Amino acid sequence: MESKLKRYEKIEFLGEGQFATVYKAKDVETGNIVAVKKIKLGSRIEAADGINRTALREIKILQELSHRNLIGLLDIFGHGSNVSLVFDFMDTDLEVIIKDNTIILTTANIKTYMIQTLQGLEYLHLNWILHRDLKPNNLLINGSGILKVADFGLAKLYGSPNRLNTHQVVTRWYRSPELLYGAKQYGVCVDMWAVGCILAELLLRVPFLPGESDLDQLTKIFQVLGNPTEENWPGVKTLSDYIEFKPFQPVPLKHIFTAAGDDLLDVIASMFVLDPSKRKTCTEVLKMPFFNNKPAPTINSKLPLPQNVRKLKELERPSLKRKLLDSAEGGTLSKRLFT
Amino acid sequence: MAGNFWQSSHHQQWLLDKQDLIRERQYDLSVLSEEEYQKIFIFFASVIQSLGEQLKLRQQVIATATVYFKRFYAKNSLKCIDPLLLAPTCIFLASKVEEFGVISNSRLLTTCQTVIKNKFAYAYNQEFPYRTNHILECEFYLLENLDCCLIVYQPYRPLLQMVQDLGHEEQLLTLAWRIVNDSLRTDVCLLYPPYQIAIGCLQIACVILQKDHKSWFAELNVDIEKIQEIARCIINLYELWKQYDEKKEIQGLLNKMPKPKPAPQR
Repeated sequence: MESKLKRYEKIEFLGEGQFATVYKAKDVETGNIVAVKKIKLGSRIEAADGINRTALREIKILQELSHRNLIGLLDIFGHGSNVSLVFDFMDTDLEVIIKDNTIILTTANIKTYMIQTLQGLEYLHLNWILHRDLKPNNLLINGSGILKVADFGLAKLYGSPNRLNTHQVVTRWYRSPELLYGAKQYGVCVDMWAVGCILAELLLRVPFLPGESDLDQLTKIFQVLGNPTEENWPGVKTLSDYIEFKPFQPVPLKHIFTAAGDDLLDVIASMFVLDPSKRKTCTEVLKMPFFNNKPAPTINSKLPLPQNVRKLKELERPSLKRKLLDSAEGGTLSKRLFT
Repeated sequence: MAGNFWQSSHHQQWLLDKQDLIRERQYDLSVLSEEEYQKIFIFFASVIQSLGEQLKLRQQVIATATVYFKRFYAKNSLKCIDPLLLAPTCIFLASKVEEFGVISNSRLLTTCQTVIKNKFAYAYNQEFPYRTNHILECEFYLLENLDCCLIVYQPYRPLLQMVQDLGHEEQLLTLAWRIVNDSLRTDVCLLYPPYQIAIGCLQIACVILQKDHKSWFAELNVDIEKIQEIARCIINLYELWKQYDEKKEIQGLLNKMPKPKPAPQR
């Protein structure tokens, strides 16, 4: 493993998260640009725990998978008692694109981003893996407009019916009502809810349900969809953290997404269903008319990208500081590529 | 285990060829006879099993740890790492990968000390010699030698499905399950896919219990020759067990075994 330290030449620092530091680097053997995610050793207690669990989760899952719309784990190496993962280098992410108000996202653009997200996720779900932390800044995009789902630090194999899972997953704004109610047995539906939130955010250009606490999150959900009842969600009252909210009147989605066509509204509605068992799966959503109707999805290379990425592409000079870095310094701890 | 076996690293990278296995073991087999080599692996499979049971791990985790152990030595000589250190390291890594509870390093070490003292004193006169830092260093080495392939498919799930298909006989399942556990003391987990191992074990169980399921086996769409090879491997193990007294022989074998240099600090 030691020799690999030399194989990846550090170019620049990209960011830092709770568990890792990420560098942009050049693979001397292939000349490719890669992202090296160096897992932090952490406290003495964590150090006694050996190889970081989050890193192990990413290694074990990504080692088994290969899909155009999933981040590729290219290599793993260690030095001392540190472990580093080498990933595809990605220029930007969906959060940067959503927040960049110089970018206009057309229905055709949104269609392409959604198809890529859903196809990557469909592959994941077919392999019995839940992502459990989908959000715009975990959807990375490269200069060719290819979107890849990243950050598998919370991902988990599912399917054992007797196995209990923690409900403390998924960044709050993208967390489904059953998780907020403390469900410990759940499936692909938690990822589908998050995809719904991401689609809404692509349209509104601000987070759709920005709850300030878990209770506030549920309030925000019910303000839009109305309250859950035993009729529209059988069994809801048996969930461990169930509480009754004051009644809200559901708001028609077309009043919120005023610019969306009926076929797009159908897609949104298919994922924003309170009862998880009635939420559509990736495969089902991809078959909905929206994806076949006009306008046709934008071809990847024509997708609008942030200016620095585009400039980078034009100049083919991989030296410009990334926008991500600025936003990370600005206080909103950017969690791209690492957890 | 969930996921797609056919596209897995287990299927694509870790079903080894018998000839390759023999070649990799050339050095160890110049010191030990093939039978002695197998006896050492039977012993360490028991060590892993005892550690796992003492830690109250599920059989799935124990089986994964055993496969890690065998995969490591499928590519390395016994002199690379003392198997007494690698065994608990495999347990440590497997418990993290399978995500069944947290084993702290100190609990693992205490368990090693107790198990070696109480159950394997006939093999080791001294205390368990390793400390946390040894296990942590070894974990890295293990991960690298596994090529970072951590998901292992086990015969237990296919076995359950097949027994169900046969009309769920409790006795048959219990016996076949135990035979699968025993199969970890052979090389079958390195050579054959888990569903074939499950069928092989089921077949042996049927013969022992004198259950006639010939028509069911006849309808299986599998390479029957492979199933026979698996069954033979396991029956050979039982033959070996019959005339082998581990308590008498193992110390001699462990002394003879190729060892890392320098020896670990005691």
